[in-house]
Amino acid sequence: MSKVSMAVDLGGIKMKNPVNTASGTFGYGWQYQNFFDVSCLGAITTKGCAAEPWPGNPKPRMTEVYGGMMNSVGLQNPGVHAFAAESGPWLEELSSKGTQVICQVAGHSTAEYVAALELFDELCPWAAGFELNVSCPNIAAGGAACGSTPEGAAEVMRACRPVTKKPLLVKMAPVRLPEIARALEAEGADGLTVINSIPGMAIDVHTRRSKISKPTGGLSGPLLHPIAVRMVWEVANAVDIPVCGVGGIMTGEDAAEFILAGATAVSVGMASFAEPDAAARILSELTAWAEEQGVNDINELIGALEC
Amino acid sequence: MPTPSPARVHDFTVVSNEPMARDIYALTVRAPKLAQAIKPGQFVNIAVPGNAASLLRVPLSYAAADPAAGTIDIWYAVVGDGTRRLSQMQPGATSTLLGPGGRGWTVPEGCRRALLVAGGIGVPPVVCLARELVSAGIDFDACVGSACADTLVGPAELEELGAGEVRISTDDGSLGLAGFCTDPAAELLARGGYDYVATCGPEPMMAKVAAAAQAAGVPCEASLERMMSCGFGACNTCAVETTHGMVGACMCGPVFNAEEVVW
Repeated sequence: MSKVSMAVDLGGIKMKNPVNTASGTFGYGWQYQNFFDVSCLGAITTKGCAAEPWPGNPKPRMTEVYGGMMNSVGLQNPGVHAFAAESGPWLEELSSKGTQVICQVAGHSTAEYVAALELFDELCPWAAGFELNVSCPNIAAGGAACGSTPEGAAEVMRACRPVTKKPLLVKMAPVRLPEIARALEAEGADGLTVINSIPGMAIDVHTRRSKISKPTGGLSGPLLHPIAVRMVWEVANAVDIPVCGVGGIMTGEDAAEFILAGATAVSVGMASFAEPDAAARILSELTAWAEEQGVNDINELIGALEC
Repeated sequence: MPTPSPARVHDFTVVSNEPMARDIYALTVRAPKLAQAIKPGQFVNIAVPGNAASLLRVPLSYAAADPAAGTIDIWYAVVGDGTRRLSQMQPGATSTLLGPGGRGWTVPEGCRRALLVAGGIGVPPVVCLARELVSAGIDFDACVGSACADTLVGPAELEELGAGEVRISTDDGSLGLAGFCTDPAAELLARGGYDYVATCGPEPMMAKVAAAAQAAGVPCEASLERMMSCGFGACNTCAVETTHGMVGACMCGPVFNAEEVVW
């Protein structure tokens, strides 16, 4: 056991430690069960699901870029019904071992977010909370459009708030963060996940075609970590609700930067693709850092940036 | 819960890593547990050292596994930064690889004679299958194509394994028939006598082979290639469009029933 208490409260989601997984990089959790004991994590966030299945985008969906990757998956998902039936039992067991399960909610419109959230609330009683993805850069309607303005984000939040009594997080696009964060807080969001992937482009200059099936895709990985840390700091300074920091965490120190910038929890993303047990290693490194800082409780380090 | 990938992370040591044709290398690695577990048509996902800004593994098929020696032979083309760095790994170098990944070849029950059709760097999983066919007492013929003679691999190994006949073609006519390997494949299929066709190579080539096999009423499997982020079913980036929707090449493939692929 660590000498430092690592437990944190992410907007009512009581995590035994701050390490979470970024939606879309951790499947539905069970994909990782043969690589490490997932129940060591404070939480996992499952891949976004909508009320109905989505086929996702055409191939190619991914290209590797310097210091990261760019994807255009387009939120392929089996729909909440199939998700709950296929993955629910495993996730329920994970939850019983003390790892909180946060289910991400996908939609193209406010009505679709509400429809999906209603199903999640009914079919996934083991979920600790839900994360509204109003910022996917790879879906044609909704997504980025919904979450890119304070009005759009607030509208989704206002409609979804009455649907569940459980904590509601919102995954934010990397635009107009402080003002959108304040709008979401005003509509009752319990926490904010900062940031989603950043829109980018990668072009094959020989064929003059995009390296993925769409002109733009979502960048992720360590290339954007300093940007994400800055954005977490801006959001944490703008609102009182907790923030979960996401973006290019490869080490415990990368995670610690988010904590010092004001994040209550952190999510490991693409690191898990190359190194399936990365989140466990990052947890142990983060714990070692907290011990080295000489605090009794990791909460003492949240927002403890000195400058 | 659907079945998770059988893949695990294994340490490996490079035994040898030598050029076998222009820009094509033969790599032998020692990874005893994986060498015992992997089946023809499955793949490995290799962490290639040497570039901290390149984070993802390189997914590759394999040409042979020797469970007794604990080794796996991988033939690969140098096509980008990852495979270029792989080509620089020296004997004794170590890293990790993830595998076995995905679904391999499924030879139909009662198969007596198979036709193997491989283009370019699609040859290794087909050679791997040929070895399996030989051990099951199944006869086979092969059509192997390449851009030119300098980049052709596979015919010698297939002959040595006991192929009935091996038809060679090159796009530029520098060796064998001038043209694509789909032409000799169609000719052999028209002659008849096959119970199974297995193909790996460029997608338009496999689509033609699949159509010819379907026309001849012979079941066909194709090994597809995709950009992969994880290789174990978590990322949804290696999507293949099939008659039953978008599925991941890393879990439902890389070997697919060719009739289910939307070419």
